[in-house]
Amino acid sequence: MEIKQAIITAAGKDQRTLPLQTLVDRTGETKSALRIIIEEALQAGAEEICVVVHPCDQGAFRAAAGEHVSRLQFVEQTAPLGYGHAVWCAKDFVGGKPFLLLVGDHLYVSRADKRCAQQLAETARAESCSVSAVQATHERLLPFYGAIGGKLAAGAKGLYEIEDVLEKPTPTEAEQKLDVPGLRAGHYLCFFGMHALSPLVMDLLAEDVRNAGGRGRVQLTPALARLAARERYLALEVQGRRYDIGAKYGLLTAQLALALDGHDRDEVLGNLVELLALRNK
Amino acid sequence: MAGTLVSIITSGDPAIRDQSLDAFCRPASLEQLLAECAELDAFRRTAENLYERVRALFFLYAIHRFHIPTKLAGAGKGLIPCHGYEHLLHRRFEEAIEVFLKMQEAEGASDGVSSALANAYHRLAFQTLADQVRRSVRMVRGNQWMFRMGHPADQPLRIRRELVERGPDGTFPILREQTPVRMDLTHSAWSDIFFLGMDYPEGAKVLNVSIDLGVHGRDAAPKPPVEAYLRVIEEPVLRLTSVDLGATADINNLAEVFDFARDYLGLLKAAVIASGIVPPGIEGSGQSLAELLAQIVGPGRGLEIVSSVNNIPKGSRLAVSTNLLAALVSVCMRATGQATSITGPLQENERRLVLARALLGEWLGGSGGGWQDSGGVWPGIKLIQGAAAGDGDPESGISRGRLMPTHHVFERDEIPEAARKALQDSLVLVHGGMAQNVGPILEMVTEKYLLRSEAEWHGRQDALRILDEVLGSLQRGDIAGVGAATTRNFKQPIQTIIPWASTYFTEQLIERVGKEFGKDFWGFWMLGGMSGGGMGFIFAPEKKALAQARLQEIMSATKRELSSALPFAMEPVVYDFAINERGTFAELLHGESALMPQGYYALTLPALLRQDIRGLSPMRRAELDKFGAACRTKPELRGMVQTLFDTMLPRAKAENKSGQSLAELLEQNGFDRAQHEQIRADLKNARIGLAQNRLPANSEITDVKPGDVFDATSWNETIGTAPARADMKEAYDLGVKALRNGELAIVTLAAGAGSRWTQGAGVCKALHPFAKLSGKHRTFIETHLAKSRRAGNKFAAPLTHIFSTSYATHAPTEEFLKRQNHYGYAGKVFLSPGKSVGLRMVPMARDLRFAWEEMPQQMLDEQQQKVRESLRAALIGWAQGAGEAGDYTDNLPLQCLHPIGHWYEVPNLLRNGLLARLLSEQPQLKHLLVHNIDTLGASADPALLGQHIRSGACLTFEMITRRLEDRGGGLARVNGRVRVVEGLAMPREEDEFNLTYYNSLTTWVDIDKLLAAFALTRADLGDPDKVTAAVRQLAAKMPTYVTIKDVKKRWGHGQEDIFPVTQFEKLWGDMSALPEIDSRFIAVPRLRGQQLKDQAQLDGWLRDGSAAYVESLCEWA
Repeated sequence: MEIKQAIITAAGKDQRTLPLQTLVDRTGETKSALRIIIEEALQAGAEEICVVVHPCDQGAFRAAAGEHVSRLQFVEQTAPLGYGHAVWCAKDFVGGKPFLLLVGDHLYVSRADKRCAQQLAETARAESCSVSAVQATHERLLPFYGAIGGKLAAGAKGLYEIEDVLEKPTPTEAEQKLDVPGLRAGHYLCFFGMHALSPLVMDLLAEDVRNAGGRGRVQLTPALARLAARERYLALEVQGRRYDIGAKYGLLTAQLALALDGHDRDEVLGNLVELLALRNK
Repeated sequence: MAGTLVSIITSGDPAIRDQSLDAFCRPASLEQLLAECAELDAFRRTAENLYERVRALFFLYAIHRFHIPTKLAGAGKGLIPCHGYEHLLHRRFEEAIEVFLKMQEAEGASDGVSSALANAYHRLAFQTLADQVRRSVRMVRGNQWMFRMGHPADQPLRIRRELVERGPDGTFPILREQTPVRMDLTHSAWSDIFFLGMDYPEGAKVLNVSIDLGVHGRDAAPKPPVEAYLRVIEEPVLRLTSVDLGATADINNLAEVFDFARDYLGLLKAAVIASGIVPPGIEGSGQSLAELLAQIVGPGRGLEIVSSVNNIPKGSRLAVSTNLLAALVSVCMRATGQATSITGPLQENERRLVLARALLGEWLGGSGGGWQDSGGVWPGIKLIQGAAAGDGDPESGISRGRLMPTHHVFERDEIPEAARKALQDSLVLVHGGMAQNVGPILEMVTEKYLLRSEAEWHGRQDALRILDEVLGSLQRGDIAGVGAATTRNFKQPIQTIIPWASTYFTEQLIERVGKEFGKDFWGFWMLGGMSGGGMGFIFAPEKKALAQARLQEIMSATKRELSSALPFAMEPVVYDFAINERGTFAELLHGESALMPQGYYALTLPALLRQDIRGLSPMRRAELDKFGAACRTKPELRGMVQTLFDTMLPRAKAENKSGQSLAELLEQNGFDRAQHEQIRADLKNARIGLAQNRLPANSEITDVKPGDVFDATSWNETIGTAPARADMKEAYDLGVKALRNGELAIVTLAAGAGSRWTQGAGVCKALHPFAKLSGKHRTFIETHLAKSRRAGNKFAAPLTHIFSTSYATHAPTEEFLKRQNHYGYAGKVFLSPGKSVGLRMVPMARDLRFAWEEMPQQMLDEQQQKVRESLRAALIGWAQGAGEAGDYTDNLPLQCLHPIGHWYEVPNLLRNGLLARLLSEQPQLKHLLVHNIDTLGASADPALLGQHIRSGACLTFEMITRRLEDRGGGLARVNGRVRVVEGLAMPREEDEFNLTYYNSLTTWVDIDKLLAAFALTRADLGDPDKVTAAVRQLAAKMPTYVTIKDVKKRWGHGQEDIFPVTQFEKLWGDMSALPEIDSRFIAVPRLRGQQLKDQAQLDGWLRDGSAAYVESLCEWA
């Protein structure tokens, strides 16, 4: 499943300004978060990128995209009808091809040679099916994420056959339906905010959007649950970590993670040590 | 080589595995049995399969309890090591077994050590089973996470958004769950007990029906009786209210949530915990409840949860409390997103989860019924059955069956609508008024199943066949067929397995209803654990209305007749019911309809109304407005204003029903106010108390020496047969002569209320139809008279029989005996009324602490122990709040009085003039046989009487060798003198374990010598003043013991509380300490001397040959 297109969603009420924040990237260069995410997609092999934005935000996003602006297309989500709806807004851009889906308020730091999105795209290519990035997550965080249940795919470490997908499950439900062999007790595979999806997802979302009739919110997870029933769908435990820049101290943590992973590691570490040493108590 | 019994346990062939233990043991020799025991004990230590291990433990128990004692034939008087007993008290069963086995090895098998081993094996077996059920409950998927969660920040549950969306008036909506209760159409022979279902899933089957309920004549129509309400509140507390128990509390710390016995909110707390709102893993973490609630509901907010069961009385056998727990769990789970839909019915997987959580809740609360009890969660009629454990189940490899059963809900094509209607048109559901503890029955069922006792095992198979029959009849709409099958079920398999499932009351009802309705009475149907409470009567449909009316009258009349004999908790009621076809169901109440149940307002409004309205939160004010408006417009709330008025300005309570006040009763029964005040002062000054009951610590207490006791333990009595032992022959002849000459009268002590027998219910033990002997329920009195009848007939001289009574027992006994026409007894029967009474007192906290902390206590298992400790803390608080050593008057007047010990019962014969009358009518009378009402083996044995006469003693006390359960003193040499020492007087617990003999309390009395001890003669008996002075003089020499007794207080709808109260007593055994009285001691066979103190002993009594022994002494009218 060759992936040449990527969608970045950034239209959510609390998401709109987050991709516009600036950080210092691994290279020591100051960039917007959006640019870092775009580069994540480009390194994964995407050639065209669609950003789903709130109607008034296109200008700011263009400015934040910097040198990559020429690769971008913008689609507006005119009403806050949910994450699934935002993805569905980019259906024409996708045009029946597989696509990489990223969220505008997460940054990723890989622990491997390859970046997170790249690991995902390569797995999708090798396995010829949809793959979602997941991370083992403690059950206390279940109210914040979609989660999957399944079993290890034969012969592949960190790769799972998805059997069930639930949005923000209760621990009760998770324990009954999302048990995955090999994880520590109280841990579940939660979405990482990064998916490589087949075009069927757009069809499934279209059904949901039609059924909602512009009244309810349309989520991505139910469509992914049906995807699992319709075709082979895998989850990849990505070698890396995600940073939610919308969380409290999220931007700071993401910045530190990037810095400690890049050129300025020693300088930042030195600063941190100095900070600690100068604390009075 | 494995023993025979081990190979029975491990066999894969059901024909071998299901063999009965009794059949194997009966012909086996003592040596064989001991060898088998050794094999079994070795096996159970290494067996990995839980049920093989448990079955080996039950085999060991049964061999030691029922088989080894019969093979000892009087040999083996081994003592029970005290430290083994201490291990038992602390639930260290393995250590206890080690100690007892070593003793057996060293001293040989003995009755005492076998009784201790039986007890230890029995309890270890149940402990092992209970541990496994609990492990399984924790391991159910969906329950596990709650045990991992220990910090508020880790709480993953969030309130559903719908519940925090305010209405226009600012109030939050209310989520209401309505749940039916369940009835078991087949009784199922208790096959839904977890242990049974987990070992024999194919035999665990019930036909369970969800029903709506109403009290006939009170409620307009049946409705789901169980309701649970939940809403968000603007305070960071858990506000819990039980409408039916009249309890409400704001809980603001985690420790209180886990404090189950603190108030009547234990069930609500268990639901809050089991639903994960306050997960069990957070217990003892010291974290903040407010923070936990903030995580779920938002900062500064909390939850209010209210339960109501529409005043359905306790003991209905309809699993009201389990279904209430399930409803509460369900409402909490819905509110926190643990069910897909916040309203409507639940999905099947959600129902199963509610069941699992209700099991968890029951375990947390230290209780537990069967797995069908949450049946009301499901709709309609369903077959619930055990399921075999497969790969992937947590039970796999541990037990044959799964913890959780499967539910098949019958569709209309399986049980048609017409059949359902026909069932409703024919069945009359009632509550007979008895509320009894079914716990011991459930243990008996488990034990008999695991032992595969022949009759019981066949009974179980029959019950399974009857289930198929009931189902078949129901499917055909043949309700008469259903009635025939349920009646047969009750009369045969159920009573074969547990004879105690039936009561005299139940059988009277069946007989009277049968007589009145003839062929229109289609059958009786026993609901749940035992009969007497919830029951079903099936009639031809055209007679149902009449039957409802008549059953109420018949039950009330029968109850009135038996109210002194059996423990009734309430007036009988007849229900209206309807099959509930939707199961548990929730609605979200908004706006004007967002009101709690009526009773909630009756409970909470008075306190709110007494406050300044401006001090109430805006939400409370809005709610009051809303409720006020509803009272004006909704017809069902019309009486509310009056209710509130009555609550706020209560009328003075009337005295007891008979109109007799406590003061009058005290006056009539010889209450000694001066003595009472002296006792109160002594109690307060700690001159008397539990600690002061004991003999001085430096008393030397040793076991008796061989010559101190005349040994008649191997004297197996058959009345009228001369003994083979030469030394007994002479005694026998003497006894026969005395009997023929009318020199003996029997005195049965029946003044006590038998508080252990009915756990303080205050009924007459003597009148309790306790067991079926020769096919009929017999009372204690009838049994004692039957023995006297036999002896009298044998020696052609009817025995005079006296029953001593007290204020509590005299009138009912007199009335009962009159109604029974003295059971046709040919000799004279007298009652000897008590002449003295005490007034109970609120205990000293010091004595409660002494009783609970200083005296050896049976530790309960972990969760029950927690509940008990919290209850005890609450009771100490009650004693201090009510005033220590204050008069205990907050109960029915009769429950406030107490008899002042059996010592007084013999002097009462002198004081009330009965002895004088007897001696004038029967001047040849020389001896009395005084025995307790529960010593059923005591009889006018000529050889023992002869031995007493021959010895020339004033008093001859009958002793038995000690078993583990025989606690409370014994025969000892105290500072060199042989005497009976009461348990209360033992300065050191361990001394008792060195005493071979236990006092049976049966005493042969030489009347003239006793009178001499009182410094009286036969002639003096006509002088009441002289007699009174003599009794007082001797009484002064007798020690006064302070005791703590449990008293029941009944309230509400069948609810009962148990309070510990202080009373004092003087005990007969202390007569042996008086130097002026010549006391002798004779050791008798255990079957003769043992006492029935507790109803839980009955099953063993029936099985170990005791009942047969008593029957052999009796001649029924």
